[in-house]
Amino acid sequence: MLLTIAWRNIWRNRRRSMIVLISVIVGVAAMMFTDGLSVGMIHQMLDNRIGSHTSHIQIHAKGFNDNRVIGKNIEKTRIVEHAIEQTPDIRHWSRRVVTYGLLSSALSSSGGLIIGVEPEREPNITSIRESIVEGEYLSGAPHEVVIGRKLAEKLQVGIGGKVVGMASALSGDVGSDLFRVVGIYETVSSEFDKTHMFTTLDNAQSMLELDDRVLEYAIIVDDINRVEEAAAQLRRNLSADYEVLSYIDLLPLLVAQMEMYDEMMYIVYIIIGLAMIFGIVNTMLMSVFERIREFGVLMAIGMKNAYVFRMVMIEAFILGVIGTAVGLGLGALFILATGSVGIDLSMFAESLTAFGAGAIIYPKLTMTTVVNVVIIIPLTALVGALYPAVKATRLQPVTAIRYV
Amino acid sequence: MEVIRLEQIEKIYSDNGVPVHALRGIDLRISQGEFTVIAGPSGSGKTTLLNVMGALDTPTEGTVFLENEDISEKSRAEISAFRLEKLGFVFQAFNLIPVLTAMENIEFAMMLLGIEEKHRRDRAREIMSELGIEELAGKRPNEMSGGQQQRVAVARAIVNNPSIILADEPTANLDSDTGANLLDLMEKMNRDHNLTFIFSSHDRQVIDRAHRLIRLTDGRIESDEQVKQ
Ligand SMILES: Nc1ncnc2c1ncn2[C@@H]1O[C@H](COP(=O)(O)OP(=O)(O)OP(=O)(O)O)[C@@H](O)[C@H]1O
Ligand SMILES: [Mg+2]
Repeated sequence: MLLTIAWRNIWRNRRRSMIVLISVIVGVAAMMFTDGLSVGMIHQMLDNRIGSHTSHIQIHAKGFNDNRVIGKNIEKTRIVEHAIEQTPDIRHWSRRVVTYGLLSSALSSSGGLIIGVEPEREPNITSIRESIVEGEYLSGAPHEVVIGRKLAEKLQVGIGGKVVGMASALSGDVGSDLFRVVGIYETVSSEFDKTHMFTTLDNAQSMLELDDRVLEYAIIVDDINRVEEAAAQLRRNLSADYEVLSYIDLLPLLVAQMEMYDEMMYIVYIIIGLAMIFGIVNTMLMSVFERIREFGVLMAIGMKNAYVFRMVMIEAFILGVIGTAVGLGLGALFILATGSVGIDLSMFAESLTAFGAGAIIYPKLTMTTVVNVVIIIPLTALVGALYPAVKATRLQPVTAIRYV
Repeated sequence: MEVIRLEQIEKIYSDNGVPVHALRGIDLRISQGEFTVIAGPSGSGKTTLLNVMGALDTPTEGTVFLENEDISEKSRAEISAFRLEKLGFVFQAFNLIPVLTAMENIEFAMMLLGIEEKHRRDRAREIMSELGIEELAGKRPNEMSGGQQQRVAVARAIVNNPSIILADEPTANLDSDTGANLLDLMEKMNRDHNLTFIFSSHDRQVIDRAHRLIRLTDGRIESDEQVKQ
């Protein structure tokens, strides 16, 4: 019966209830959308990093990842490759040479990572071949290099331009080679484009006097959710002379950023929640004040305080639940609608490309968001109703009845 | 049996710091089955007296006994339980919950007592037919006339079988025919069920029906006489 009363009271002052409902709906939808947008953005940043270079799992000689010195190389490649082949769930793998070096044109020079890749296998791992905007990907011929658009601009070279690569070789001498630019690529991250140049594995090995030694194995697993299991299996298959690192180990900054995003979302939740609480406190107070006489009569005929309290709470709870349901629907609809097309944030693209997310963000709906909203919002409504409900129980029947 | 006893009741309100003496030295006993009218000019303290008797208001001085129990010794929850079980109230106007139908308003009082739904329905129907207001069952207060609302209020007041009904100017907003009807009804309840009725009123029509008439002026009992049996 209290439910009936609460329900009808909501419809008694439609305008006011609508205002509360709309504020809850807008709050929920806004919450879901910011959440969806940031989850989408983080996923894209992660996908981009995995897809441009990191891959799911990397194997190096022990300690290589810390300072990337060429001395920490893998000589017994057969052992590592055998271990990889023994591990289930691995879809693709590829050999690499990765070293810090300098690339110079006639006009300018720039430091960065010189990466030797296998032209036939690397495209299974990363998307550099698809990111070529001018020229071609590596064909396997000697002295080819593929560089990023930003680097090409800096070095002021185009397709066919000549650049000299220099890096310290295994012997400690400076190894160098003259390359011809065959392709220019562009990823969503300008920072990446400025600092990553690609040549063939053979070329890099001879330039650095590595013979058949490899510095890095890049691995793609069937299912990204099974990366840790595959890495653990690889660790078991390999001795302590090697390090097996998952993308989570390899991208500590991005992982930290993801955690920061999560915290930021909680701040957004709190702000939206607070705004909602104020709205609900306000309307419920008005609704209590409007009914002072009614409460007085009810108390006079013997309605207990607990009932008075519950009556107000139930009303706010119903509003919260309806608002959440509608807001959830709207938010989900919006995310689904924009999720495949994406939202073009080109106006902020400068900073976004620096972030490595891309100019078009594809919002993503996660279960966590839904669960958060479903739990937080109705609770928020209850919190907002607390004060008005207590206020109602404090009414004295006599004064309330006199009140007109 | 004595149901209400007031001893040396004083009630002083403070009207923006100015003390207003609403009741002065009231001594009064009410017995089961009385049909009493408290009459007096506006401001004489009728409402205040009724509120004190109904434990809605606490006196500044003096003691209120309801069924021989000193209510100043009871907690707020005990008093509200007592009101629910032993007292019925009919106010001048706006007695009903606007969002509930007549039937639901009557049921509501029973719900507060924890009576189960099926039982409530039956009892509400029974009381409505006794008061001749069955046809109002599905109507909301704003679809009823003032007299109809007051009759529903009476039904709600008596539905839990209280021993005392307190009615503060129940006919004030009604025309004389409707008022007479309401009074007929209450007189019948008094006769058939030996229910105690205490009214406040300055309405001639109500005063004429009184079995016991108490006249109040300036918060004092001026006269108290048995006018009918
Ligand atoms: N809450 C209050 N604060 C201050 N003064 C009050 C309060 N309630 C009543 N009074 C005063 O107490 C006196 C008695 O009031 P009460 O309402 O009991 O009179 P009444 O006989 O019921 O009058 P009416 O016929 O107009 O209803 C009046 O002078 C009134 O102004
Ligand atoms: Mg009065």
